[in-house]
Amino acid sequence: MNKLEIDWTRCDGHGLCAGLLPDDVLLDEWGFPVLRGREITAGELPDARRAVLACPALALRLNNR
Amino acid sequence: MITVEEIRVIGEARVLAGLDQGRLDLQRHLLTHGDQPQLTRADYTNLSEAVGLRGRGGAAFPVALKLQDLPARGVEAVVVNGSESEPVSRKDRLLLTQSPHLVLDGAVGLAHALGAPHVLIAVHDPAAALSVREALMERDDGLAVEVRETPGRFVAGEARAVLSALEGGLAVPPGRRVLPTRKGYHRRPTFLSNVETFAQLAVLARLGSRGFSSTGLISEPGTQLLTVDGAVQWPGVIEAPTGVPLDTVLQYAGAEPGPVLLGGYHGRWLEQTDGVTLQRPEVSAGIILALGPATCPLGEVTRVAQWLSSQSAGQCGPCVFGLAALVDDFARLTVGDPQGWHDAHRHLGLVPGRGACAHPDGTARFLTSALEVFDDDVQRHLSGRGCGRPVLGLLGGAR
Ligand code: SF4
Ligand code: SF4
Repeated sequence: MNKLEIDWTRCDGHGLCAGLLPDDVLLDEWGFPVLRGREITAGELPDARRAVLACPALALRLNNR
Repeated sequence: MITVEEIRVIGEARVLAGLDQGRLDLQRHLLTHGDQPQLTRADYTNLSEAVGLRGRGGAAFPVALKLQDLPARGVEAVVVNGSESEPVSRKDRLLLTQSPHLVLDGAVGLAHALGAPHVLIAVHDPAAALSVREALMERDDGLAVEVRETPGRFVAGEARAVLSALEGGLAVPPGRRVLPTRKGYHRRPTFLSNVETFAQLAVLARLGSRGFSSTGLISEPGTQLLTVDGAVQWPGVIEAPTGVPLDTVLQYAGAEPGPVLLGGYHGRWLEQTDGVTLQRPEVSAGIILALGPATCPLGEVTRVAQWLSSQSAGQCGPCVFGLAALVDDFARLTVGDPQGWHDAHRHLGLVPGRGACAHPDGTARFLTSALEVFDDDVQRHLSGRGCGRPVLGLLGGAR
């Protein structure tokens, strides 16, 4: 089970993740990500991994439990 | 400062036993409570499970589960969280200043049972720190017991923030959700709980599960400490059996009629008090605030919101921006701006679950229940006439 997670102490609202994963991340009125919270399917994993690597604050994570 | 007159007991005095005569030094402590029996780790786990003991800091996590989650060996420390960061709460300061040996018995007894070499007591109140240091000079526990002063900010009392401060770091919660039982003090397994939990453990060790269960609820027997404040004649700390009716406690404190905030600044408003009984998790850290009929509820709530917003550790965007926005929404709502009402509802949906700690969630819970319970007042304010009452500042909050 893969889900996106955000370390809020790191995220500084670049909003990059919302651009890369428009189906999973929206931005609130302050520019911080709102996660849809759904599971990332196997087919979407590569895109999700790319977004995690692209996050300049190392705040976005993929959690599998 | 708590004076002796501000201590009241409904039923049997347990953790507050002997305090009607003032602070318990070692001699008076032993006369009142007797020796702390030496128990094993299995004893503590079984006893805590038998009486359903829950942490008394607010999260109300079962103590037995916390003990079971610790590894079989290598427990580094037992940490007494005495930061009591809810500004209204006074029960932990009361225990540390008046009955420090009971708390120490609980912590040291458990540390011996767990084989933990350190006991750390985190406090931010100077009088409490002094009292514990004085108590430590009277006893010889055969392990390292240390009193550490930690910052008194609201979020600094969160368990992981306390651990960070004890390690010399900033008193803020880390970004990752780690369990102190696995990675606590210096990333080593740690048993951390609130001051009252340790006092209850010391009582439980002495009474055994049957004696402990002679009062209170079947599901969570024993007593609890409550801090009562607001529109009451006798504010202070009350020891009462678990499951006591809220109305009984309000009567004891001489509360004026009106809505009651249960569980402190992260708690919930109650419009009605009859039929409500007090137990965990609802009662949280045991704070009961009576609003009374004379003050403007929305004004009071806005002041608390301001204070809560100022206490955000400033780490997480949605918490920092969201709580500030909510303060502004409530202020506008109070002066009759309907957009404030709409914005408040939207923002209340945007903050929960979006921070490194439960501060945004707790604040949203408090404000959401205020909008529900004070709906009539909200309508009156929105009609532009206000409720005609001054803001007395009965709940504390921003000054
Ligand atoms: S890209 Fe990273 S820092 Fe930027 S909003 Fe997304 S999670 Fe936050
Ligand atoms: S959620 Fe708020 S109070 Fe908690 S760590 Fe983040 S900024 Fe601080």
